[in-house]
Amino acid sequence: MSKKILVVDDSRTALMMSREILEKRTTYQCVTASDGHEAVEKAQQEHPDLILMDVVMPRMNGFEACKVMRQQPGTREIPIVLVTTRGEESYMEAGFQSGCNDYITKPVDGAELVALLQSYLGE
Amino acid sequence: MSDDKRSAFGAKRCAAGPMNDARLEAARKRLTESKGQEDAIEGLREIVANLLGSEEIGLFRVDRRTSTFQVFWSFGIDLENYDLLQTMGGSGLERVMRGECHVEFAAGDRSGATAKAQAFVPISVAGQTIAILAILRLLPQKLAFDRSDMELFKLLSDEAAKPLFGSSGHSIPSEGPGIRT
Repeated sequence: MSKKILVVDDSRTALMMSREILEKRTTYQCVTASDGHEAVEKAQQEHPDLILMDVVMPRMNGFEACKVMRQQPGTREIPIVLVTTRGEESYMEAGFQSGCNDYITKPVDGAELVALLQSYLGE
Repeated sequence: MSDDKRSAFGAKRCAAGPMNDARLEAARKRLTESKGQEDAIEGLREIVANLLGSEEIGLFRVDRRTSTFQVFWSFGIDLENYDLLQTMGGSGLERVMRGECHVEFAAGDRSGATAKAQAFVPISVAGQTIAILAILRLLPQKLAFDRSDMELFKLLSDEAAKPLFGSSGHSIPSEGPGIRT
């Protein structure tokens, strides 16, 4: 059974890019959400194997969503990789304090993304 | 600016890996699925931010009658007094008007590339440049434009006009949607 990844981003372009990579160029299954609030709901419903989540989003940002998921039994153990345009150390530190496992910056390199996902999920 | 710090890339394709194909497909889909001009502009912003790595963008319309370039839309930068001709130089502007991308500080250039990397992409209809997309600064983590970016520039050059400006590409309103920072 293929591993499921929840991709969260308010940018349709970013979601389309992730779908193109995950569904057509890997064996991973992809579900999407467009803000942190929807991500929390989808994570509880879909039980993904990993969450790839943008930081700057409306309604609930990635840091907040990460904190919420870390407090809930059903999502506490899911690996979360945050994705953002900002690569400053202080910003990344804030990400890790919110409970994320990893952090990558935009523009996302597709090959690097797949390698990172494989390091958590395997082929 | 010396020639070694400027690179011009024409229409030729470069070797693209499957991941770059994914990037191109996502950009093409986002543009073609745009619902109206405002959504197409948002799509353009998303493509530049997410796939190219810049949050300082301008779109200039070309008025061939008066040979002028007017800011149609910008994001992340105030272009009120921006002078395309002064920035690109006459030869660079001519190149873009001929339908070629003009890129400064592409991959392989020396240090300082990130702060000064810029790209000017013709938005074309039937070989005629009707607008110019200016990508004016890269995000700090993106070191320079690379060869795969040139393919994305080519796609934008060929396919952005219709969603942005309508099927003929010439129905450009006199006023753009404004400046966003």
